[in-house]
Amino acid sequence: MFTPVLDSILFFMVSLPIVGWLAQKIGLNRIRDVYAILGFMLSGYALIGLYEEVSKSRIILIKIATFGPPLGACLVIDTLSIFMAFTFLLLSIFVSVYSVRYMEHETRVTEYYALFLGMVAGMIGVVFAGDFFTFFIFWELMCVTSYVLVAFRKELWAPIEAAFKYLIMSTFGSVTIFFAMSFLYGMVGTLNFAHLATSIRTVTPNYWLYLTIAMIVVGFGIKAAIVPFHTWLPDAHPEAPSSVSALLSGILIACGIYGLSRILILIFNPAQFQWGILVAILSVITMTIGNFMALLQSDVKRLLAYSSIAHIGYILVGVAVATETGLGGAFLHVFNHSLMKGLAFLCAGAFIHQAGTRKLNELAGIGRRMPISAFVFCVALLALLGVPSLNGFISKLILVKAAIEANASILAIVLVINSVFSAAYYLRIMQIIMLASPARKIAKVKEAPLAMVIPMCMMALLIVFFGVYPEPVTVFAEKTASAILNVQEFIKLVY
Amino acid sequence: MVKLLLGIVILANAANLSFISFSTFRYGGAIDPFAHTIVLMAIVIEAFVTAVGLAMILNAYRHYRTLDVRKLRKLRW
Repeated sequence: MFTPVLDSILFFMVSLPIVGWLAQKIGLNRIRDVYAILGFMLSGYALIGLYEEVSKSRIILIKIATFGPPLGACLVIDTLSIFMAFTFLLLSIFVSVYSVRYMEHETRVTEYYALFLGMVAGMIGVVFAGDFFTFFIFWELMCVTSYVLVAFRKELWAPIEAAFKYLIMSTFGSVTIFFAMSFLYGMVGTLNFAHLATSIRTVTPNYWLYLTIAMIVVGFGIKAAIVPFHTWLPDAHPEAPSSVSALLSGILIACGIYGLSRILILIFNPAQFQWGILVAILSVITMTIGNFMALLQSDVKRLLAYSSIAHIGYILVGVAVATETGLGGAFLHVFNHSLMKGLAFLCAGAFIHQAGTRKLNELAGIGRRMPISAFVFCVALLALLGVPSLNGFISKLILVKAAIEANASILAIVLVINSVFSAAYYLRIMQIIMLASPARKIAKVKEAPLAMVIPMCMMALLIVFFGVYPEPVTVFAEKTASAILNVQEFIKLVY
Repeated sequence: MVKLLLGIVILANAANLSFISFSTFRYGGAIDPFAHTIVLMAIVIEAFVTAVGLAMILNAYRHYRTLDVRKLRKLRW
């Protein structure tokens, strides 16, 4: 019904509780883990088929109801959707393999996998949606499952407090988007992206449209943790289980960026509405505050959460300039950030799993006890910092180039200064983890189990691979940028 | 905390009302079935968000023994 990619994930999500129950009856709990991994693999396989279809016809329309647009719900899949879905599924496969050992001491693992599949299904639905209403339903599926995943360890007070904060703020964001939808409906009479685009791209801006833009920026800004609306992120990301934080930080905030760029570029013409300045100011504030706050942290996961905010700032530079290079750099950075930050959170999770603490001074010298995990952690941190020959460098370079080309040198300068400034805390963690003498508390810590180390090593290999040989992803990202800017083709397909 | 959640529900109802009023405005009194379906689905979505929120409030009450949201401020910086 919703393309094989989404169908298989939704099927596995619904059937996983039954499989988990049966597995518990037989006494082979591992079946449900394998079943969840199988779901992601199958969906990834379906995505390859869909990619071939899209690369042939560039963009495809799938009607969900018997009657199509403007009133019926539909999916519109272009290269950008495929690129984002690929990012989501790649990280999900790694994280699901990692969770097999990471979550083994938890109760309710069946629910964990069902919610995990639900969250990824929501995210893929968001990037495939062709009208605002389908978008909203999948958006809420993604949001609600992520609230429950953040509060997964409900026997502790901190996850509950963080999740409640997240729920209130994020729901406020979703409702703001819904309100903006009602305005768009009032103006045009439909919620199909293509029909909204044809009606609104040509009109002269008025106060109602500016109000709608402001509401959309606030709504997606809360999800993407743009600075005035970021306060949920540094609480929710550290308190979730580490595998969930990797997903939240790597791909969930990327959905906010996707929504922002897709809707602003498609419906509100950048040349006419001048929202670029707003996004540029937000990006400067976001990266500066994110980096400053990260410097003050003494908790590994909280530090990584603030570093995610800084990276959202870098990505917004590309969205603000809204040129082909800029958007290509932005989406390439989304992909790279999902690998780098996912790996950093998984390594932090391995330290927590083995040592039972996440205070930086208590983890001092853990690199001598867990050499492989600490080494891949350093790879992730260096990539986040933007060291040449690792993938973070390539996308930052493209973003700087795009900002200079678009006559926004000030953005480029702020990006480079922030990037250099962030070395302060990344190098500090590396010094503490690798060089300090081991604290007494972690004297008996051993290396993480193999099932956790293998996905981490593979992600580190991908980081190095895409840093040394970036052509496949840069070409893919350029195609996505031209797909998102090719509004006329999108409109022509739906009409 | 419960009032905070109810605030969200009221906000969502405002959005629903806005949909309905716009739809009647367009077709001179009759409600556009499109807006009708959207509002019905949105009410369902609101209901499950509220259910998750209430579950979270219940758990928060078990930890903090209060429903005052100002007491939930152990996480800072």
